[in-house]
Amino acid sequence: MNARVKLTLLFCLGILCAAPYFLSPYHTTLLLPAIAYGIILLGFNLLFGYTGLLSFGHALFVAVGAYTVAILTSRLGIKNMEIIFLCAIGASIVVAVPVGLICVRYVRIFFGMLTLAFGMLFHSILFKFYDLSGGDSGIQVVRPFLFGQDLSSMDKTSFLIGPFFYYSIIILIILGALMWRIVHSPMGMHFRAIRDNSRKAEYLGIQVHRFRLIAFVISAIYGAIGGALLVIPVGLADPELAYWTHSGNIVFMTILGGFNNFFGPIVGAFAFIGLKDQLVGLTQYWRFALGIVLVMLVLLLPNGIMGLLQAKKRMASQEKAQ
Amino acid sequence: MTPILEAKNVSKSYGVYQALKNVSLKFFEGETISIVGPNGAGKTTFVNVLTGLLKPTEGDVDFCGKSIAGVGPVKLSQYGMARAFQLVQIFPLMTVQETIISAVISQTGSQYNFWSNAVAQKRLVDKAFEVARIFNLDKKMSWQASYLSQGEKKLLDIASAFALDPTVILLDEPTSGISTADKRGIMDTLMEAAKLSGIKTILLVEHDMELVAEYSTRIVALAEGKLLADLPPKEFFANAELEAQIIGKRVSHA
Amino acid sequence: MTAFIDIILSGLFHAAVLFLLAGGLQLVFGVQKIVNLACGAFYALGAYFGITLVSLAIKFGMPAYSLILVLIIAGLLMGLVGPIIERLLRLVYDREEGFQLLLTFAIMLLLEDLIRMIWGATPMTLGNLSMTYGHLNFASTSIPMYKILVIGASVLLALGLGWMLQKTNFGRIVRATAENRRMSEAMGVNVVWINVAIFTLGTTLGTIGGALVVPTAAASLEMISEVVVEAFAVVVIGGLGSMRGALVGALIVGIMRAFAVSIYAEIDLLLIYLIVIGILIFKPAGLFGKAVES
Repeated sequence: MNARVKLTLLFCLGILCAAPYFLSPYHTTLLLPAIAYGIILLGFNLLFGYTGLLSFGHALFVAVGAYTVAILTSRLGIKNMEIIFLCAIGASIVVAVPVGLICVRYVRIFFGMLTLAFGMLFHSILFKFYDLSGGDSGIQVVRPFLFGQDLSSMDKTSFLIGPFFYYSIIILIILGALMWRIVHSPMGMHFRAIRDNSRKAEYLGIQVHRFRLIAFVISAIYGAIGGALLVIPVGLADPELAYWTHSGNIVFMTILGGFNNFFGPIVGAFAFIGLKDQLVGLTQYWRFALGIVLVMLVLLLPNGIMGLLQAKKRMASQEKAQ
Repeated sequence: MTPILEAKNVSKSYGVYQALKNVSLKFFEGETISIVGPNGAGKTTFVNVLTGLLKPTEGDVDFCGKSIAGVGPVKLSQYGMARAFQLVQIFPLMTVQETIISAVISQTGSQYNFWSNAVAQKRLVDKAFEVARIFNLDKKMSWQASYLSQGEKKLLDIASAFALDPTVILLDEPTSGISTADKRGIMDTLMEAAKLSGIKTILLVEHDMELVAEYSTRIVALAEGKLLADLPPKEFFANAELEAQIIGKRVSHA
Repeated sequence: MTAFIDIILSGLFHAAVLFLLAGGLQLVFGVQKIVNLACGAFYALGAYFGITLVSLAIKFGMPAYSLILVLIIAGLLMGLVGPIIERLLRLVYDREEGFQLLLTFAIMLLLEDLIRMIWGATPMTLGNLSMTYGHLNFASTSIPMYKILVIGASVLLALGLGWMLQKTNFGRIVRATAENRRMSEAMGVNVVWINVAIFTLGTTLGTIGGALVVPTAAASLEMISEVVVEAFAVVVIGGLGSMRGALVGALIVGIMRAFAVSIYAEIDLLLIYLIVIGILIFKPAGLFGKAVES
């Protein structure tokens, strides 16, 4: 990472950490799903941007994480967030390995269809099996302990814009740093080789199915951790988290930020949440507006926000060279 | 002397169509063998069986005594055989350096390393540079592969195969798509690279008979799925009838 | 026995409607190679407009038994949005599948709010109008005539489509273009026009399907995303791009769901997804589709 990127990153983190001090409580709490989706999308983009697999069922793992935190806190009385994360990681691996083993043997539209089918299968299970999953009313999420601290005496807003806000940021930083290492590592290089030309990758000794599976499982883990964080402010895990349109939105957000850039997914998460919030306030037909945004993205700006920024930078340096 | 690569009574049929009929061949260390034959002779099928991509219907393929019939490309590279294709295969979004490092990573077993920075690993970077230098790509290490010229892409493709440190390499029409003027340059680079990389045996699939005459130590000719001839160049080209069967005209050479 | 016939009939009715929707998907996939995630929106457009047109027809004193005709006309009229949407989709024919899917996803969002704008967010129904056609008494059970009419209409459409694809010049050109677009172009086929025609036809099948379903089900915004999943199940089971597959797939999904609902309601969709996953694993090309490489 060069100095300029490091500086920009520190600057953005600084602003994020200072947010509760200059933003209203409402806007600060709005940043929480952005952080959670940032984590989810980092994982999603490992699979999509770096390994070339477009999943239309990623919401499945978000739901796994969400239901893990819900079941553990409200039904089993386990409230330590760190233990909950470990369980969410375990649950996502248990689901991702068999699903992944089946899905990674296929590519492109068939991979998309298989992942969509698995996502909807999970949604069906959540929706129908009331005793297990609370059916369409979902399962409640009780406030967990952060770093062993029982914060149940705090009022909701103070909890969310205080300890929980900073806790989420810490998780984002840790998982972001880990993902940075992964994509720049020899393993990351294998993912990209598989994305660029899987046949050639095989001839260079790369076990394509195995590494696709690894990418799939890692993305599932990130999805579950993000999913767990996502539902704590809401207090409820419900089946719609696993619905295919949620998976579609995940793809939308990633493209919005830019799938060809490491930070694109995080930018996309914040941009989407912010954009949606503004649109919902402006019109009841915000879906239409989002649809227009997506159309423009696909047609004019396929590399997303980060792609636009990078293109501008390139033009600026070309002008300077002249 | 044990052959480094051996095809033992290899036959391959697709339903009623027999693509290969009982082909047996032994390849030894130090040889440069050209596999020639008219289109439809079964060259591609033979080469695919020889490199473990296809399982023979009958017979076996041994590499250093171990059977490699149908093992697939990944195992093939682990055993020590590499292959480069006629149609250039590159990683469009990766740089020259990254492409070659990818090969070195699998070769050195560092593929499960998810923590270290790949391009900062001295072992990987140095080895990649070494290979790139042999192919004159060392000045373009940070170039994205899609921006290279067609000839350079071809060299990169072959270079990444060489980076696997194979004992045997199979080059599928390495000069196809290259202008006639550059063909010999490419072949010289390849032969030099093979020597420097410690590759013991080179297999070439070639249509250009002049190159075949100049660079091979042995010529294997297939026609209609059968082994037609297995001779050193001098004797091969001395046989006018043989030449006519393969290419239909006499080639003049020194 | 009564229950059995009821189930079969419900299943066939469901299959009839699904066939129209999935058939439309198959046509579009076959020629444009695009999976249209917005197909549910077209279905909903047909449903809502069907209700509007029928209400209008009633006001103008049209006889009750013209119900099915009015609905079909509603479907046909709504199909006219086809060329407009195709104009937009045309811009991504040469792009990667991911972006094509995203554009159809965007179109789905646009159409959903358009429907919300015009008809509002509450579900709409036609009340008891399907009873207009009365019942047919058969083997100690009473079958709503409406369902039989819809099944009949769907069969006719299926036969018509089959005839068109197999016996007419247009059909031959369509099949050729589906198989090899470039070659078709090289042979002078006006592929642009074929794309518009097929997309419109596919859309219209969907809008007719939606229109025909409203006497028995409510038109709602949820339809848009729910029906996509069933249509997609049909298409996977039948095989991407195959019309025959759409027919057989629709029958399988329709009848299985009808049986499942009567035995153990919880598992109806679950069973379908399991079948979809099974097919994708063991025969990814579906029952009638073309082979697939991984």
